Amino acid sequence: MNPIGEMVAAKEIVVCAGSGGVGKTTTAAAIALRAALQGKRAAVLTIDPARRLATSLGLKELSNEPSKVSKRKLTTAGLEPGGELYALMLDTKTTFDEVVLRYAPTREQAERIISNRFYRNISGTLSGTQEYMAMEKLYELHADGGFDLVVIDTPPTRNALDFLDAPKRLTDFFESRLLRWFLLPYMKAGGGIMRVANVAATTFLHAMKRVVGGDVLQDTAEFFRNLEGMYDGFKQRAGDVSALLQSRSTSFVIVTSPAEESVAEATFFATRLNQAGLPFGALVVNRVHPRIGDGIGVKPRQLSKLEAGGDRARLLAKLLDNEDAFMRLVHLEEKNLNALARKIPRHRWVRVPYLEQEAVDIKGLAAIADQLFDTA
Amino acid sequence: MVADAGRCLRRRRAGLYDRPWDMNPEMLIDEFLEPKVLIVSGKGGVGKSTVAASLALVAARRGRRVCVAEVDRRGTLPKLFGGGGLAYEPSELSPGVWGVNILPEEALSEYLRVQYRMHRAAKIFRSGQFVDFVTTAAPGLKDVLVLGKIWYLEQGRSGTGRPQDFDTIIVDAPAAGHMLTFLQAPSGLSDAVRVGPIRRQTDWLIDMLTDPRRTRVHLVALAEEMPVVETLETSGALSQKLHISQGPVFANSIYSELLTAAEEEQLEAIAANGLLRKLQPEAKRVGLNLDAEDADALVGYARFLSSRRTIQQGYLKALRKGTTQPVLELPFLFSAGLALPDIETLADVMEEQVEKT
Repeated sequence: MNPIGEMVAAKEIVVCAGSGGVGKTTTAAAIALRAALQGKRAAVLTIDPARRLATSLGLKELSNEPSKVSKRKLTTAGLEPGGELYALMLDTKTTFDEVVLRYAPTREQAERIISNRFYRNISGTLSGTQEYMAMEKLYELHADGGFDLVVIDTPPTRNALDFLDAPKRLTDFFESRLLRWFLLPYMKAGGGIMRVANVAATTFLHAMKRVVGGDVLQDTAEFFRNLEGMYDGFKQRAGDVSALLQSRSTSFVIVTSPAEESVAEATFFATRLNQAGLPFGALVVNRVHPRIGDGIGVKPRQLSKLEAGGDRARLLAKLLDNEDAFMRLVHLEEKNLNALARKIPRHRWVRVPYLEQEAVDIKGLAAIADQLFDTA
Repeated sequence: MVADAGRCLRRRRAGLYDRPWDMNPEMLIDEFLEPKVLIVSGKGGVGKSTVAASLALVAARRGRRVCVAEVDRRGTLPKLFGGGGLAYEPSELSPGVWGVNILPEEALSEYLRVQYRMHRAAKIFRSGQFVDFVTTAAPGLKDVLVLGKIWYLEQGRSGTGRPQDFDTIIVDAPAAGHMLTFLQAPSGLSDAVRVGPIRRQTDWLIDMLTDPRRTRVHLVALAEEMPVVETLETSGALSQKLHISQGPVFANSIYSELLTAAEEEQLEAIAANGLLRKLQPEAKRVGLNLDAEDADALVGYARFLSSRRTIQQGYLKALRKGTTQPVLELPFLFSAGLALPDIETLADVMEEQVEKT
């Protein structure tokens, strides 16, 4: 069994990470599909608004709740599903609302929060929210969804660090004593700025009021007031999520292409996983150009001589020139990948060659799954 | 584009004729570079920074002072020019090309200093957590602050009081999905902030963004399923919802044609009859000795290129069909990590393509 096969056999959660445009979503979907064919009840949770994934699975659209890929769709594609395949797309805001409803002591308090203008803004835009909610959803699917395997592709974060630290960053934000302290005059007086002894707080409020207006501060203070008493719940859940990610049930897949930038990202991510004590499962290297032969090494002088010749000589010149360009590229890619091999041992790698077609339907996804699971 | 009368007609029907771009289809580079602010965006991994850097070279070669702006991230732009990281204040990356990294916290701090002479508050606001807080309280404020800095640059002003006149400002914008939110921020903010000077200032930003002589967006795509679909959606939203003018779409990493149809036939004919035997005499004449594996490589790579190219051409066709903008092709560069010479090559191609259109 190759590293991906081993992972799917033994794990309950697979997290796919990597830089943009390397095939994270497709990899995640292909892994879930194969697991379903093997008899598991599998779900793929995508963060990208990937309509193509929905279409390729024969679903009209993906929502925040699992949609089942019909058995007929799978059998029509010539597959024999022993299990079930579900797909869903993260809706950050809805998930956040559910979190608030879960942790608020009363329904009224939850509704006050959900209708608060400041909350409505943060639930979509605060940095780290999407990452946190992705983890929240993952936890929920794993704990209550009855799935044998949940595969998730990570948000397109600027870097791996953002994603791993998100739950903690968001809870820190809510909990920040500093912020609440700065808002204190608003929280107490519920209105105008009181004369507080602290100059910094006054300066801060003064500046805020000039830039965004007083009512924004009002909403904000109210939000924090309503949030009192919920911090422990948030914190506990963030702790649970992080424990789940570090547990034996979880495994991380790093997806990369051989391009310098995405290899750098993959290397960085591997280091971070290691530091954070998170379980690494496999590296998927997509889009590697094939290596054919050892390189002919045509010289420019030889090329120009051939170009001056007859039809066949000119054809040969073009072929040699093309071979030379590909060989150069193959060498560069190998150089990048060798650097990566110093970080991630090659027996954890799965190389997926360029495929003839992109995965536009279940058949295409199944072809990718074959490559992912069956290459040694 | 001149040759494609059908498309000109379609664009005119789409009500786009009043834009300077379309009145003169034989655009020249100077027209191409007319708006001072050129925003480059596209799906993650399509080569936005590469295109932004190449555009910068094209402009610099025309003697323009160019400023390339990264927005709130450490990107690959400075590396393309062989330099280190970018700062909030412009630094020269190569002759005629400056670079900045616009961080929202710095922009907020500068804004408070310049607008309100609030030096102490400016200092507090440089902490990331406060910016998170403030920009969360008023959604879009982060983006508006960044756009505000771009406006400062466009107006030839800088926070430090040093005049900084740039002829061209190229924005290496956030990935397509976020780009729309980014450009929509000024109009969005006025809903959240009902008072204060920032309200008036967002109008200045909207003026800048929606004036085709001042701002133009270039989308970058790859000839693949997802990037094409996303480019078309973004392009539609830009013109229909945001009313921001667009320039040609750059289709990046396009494999160039290797063999003509006749040559392709010739290759398949000799490949069927023992390629090595047929090509060896020619190779020997220039001092090359090919073996069977070499012959496999020659045919294998030619076929690989041709099959990738066929796939790409399909998506290029879909891209051309779906957009009213000209599509300029940038070549695949056989490089697994780009550097300045590659950018120079792309700039050459850009010039050539623009002159041809």
